Amino acid sequence: MLKTVFLTLLSLAIAIGLGGGSVWYALNAQDGVGAIRIGQWTAFPEIGTEGSDPYSKARVAREGVLALGRAEGLSFVAERDEAGQPLKRECAYTLEGGYPTARFWTLYAADQSLGVLDTGKARQAALQSYEVLRRPDNSVVISVGDRPAPGNWLLTAGFGKMYFVLTFYDTPIASSTGLSDVTLPRILKAGCHA
Amino acid sequence: MRSLLHALILGLLGAGIVHIAVLFLVPEFSERDAWSRLAMASDLYKMTRLDAEAGGAPVVKSVDPMFYAAACRFNLADGLVRIRAPGDVPFWSASVYDRSGHNIYSFNDHNANSEKLDAVVLTPAQMIDVRRDLPEDLQGAIFVEVPIEEGIFVVRAFVPDDSWKPIVSRFLEQSACELQDY
Repeated sequence: MLKTVFLTLLSLAIAIGLGGGSVWYALNAQDGVGAIRIGQWTAFPEIGTEGSDPYSKARVAREGVLALGRAEGLSFVAERDEAGQPLKRECAYTLEGGYPTARFWTLYAADQSLGVLDTGKARQAALQSYEVLRRPDNSVVISVGDRPAPGNWLLTAGFGKMYFVLTFYDTPIASSTGLSDVTLPRILKAGCHA
Repeated sequence: MRSLLHALILGLLGAGIVHIAVLFLVPEFSERDAWSRLAMASDLYKMTRLDAEAGGAPVVKSVDPMFYAAACRFNLADGLVRIRAPGDVPFWSASVYDRSGHNIYSFNDHNANSEKLDAVVLTPAQMIDVRRDLPEDLQGAIFVEVPIEEGIFVVRAFVPDDSWKPIVSRFLEQSACELQDY
């Protein structure tokens, strides 16, 4: 008798615990169904549309996101550098390379919830394409860190996990055909504070 | 031993079922979706700032820090809704979302006549009525036909640097979201 009760409870605990936990895990993972990866950058072109998968729909509902539409833009998120190490706020990085066609783009350093990092200063942890300096071949080099750097400088501050969010506005790559031959900047680690 | 294995397998099967059930129930029962958050912040047909600039925490998160945004909720069962915003900003874009936050239609300033935001959101049935006798002042508007009743209209505007902040703020504050008679 007691054994049956125990076994029933065990099955129920596994079912509810594992079932609920796996949903929670799947919704928090940055990767997921429908993701498009270009280098270290991940985008969800389908997110927030009627045609998206159940995981994206649940994520949209749970986080209250209003995703950008196709005519607005497309966001890419990076959580690792070129070597596969997670991005850290205490480290300095260099972003270099070309950017796909768009009216303009914005780049910002984000915390876990993908909100912009609080730098504690008047300068935001964000850059946009109208204000960056370009090299003769139209590529852009951006220094990321808490020390001022010549050229393009993206200010970060603090310790812990960091994400880069790169958003292209009014861009042909937001339509599905444009994503195949897109290259995005590489993320190279330049050094860390101990 | 056999019954323990039996219970484990049953548990795993159950986990699969619970996983699917929870996944499909999350959108149904979420009280944190965009509509609910906006409903807490303001009424129907009222433009509400989404970014933190207006004071307090942002209503809907994940807005680009270089963007200001405003949104209004509407119900097309009451009639058509017209969204207008005056003035020149470097870039604006607009989206219509349904009740559960899916993006249904989006456009930006290059799609609009005269780069001014003037849009009418309506159902296909209302579109037929309006087409029959198009009012003079709706001539230049963008008509957005959507197969929904309740929805959210979001305007986003680009703030290239600090000097644009007051101009873009004014653009969003003067934007209007109102029921339109026809």
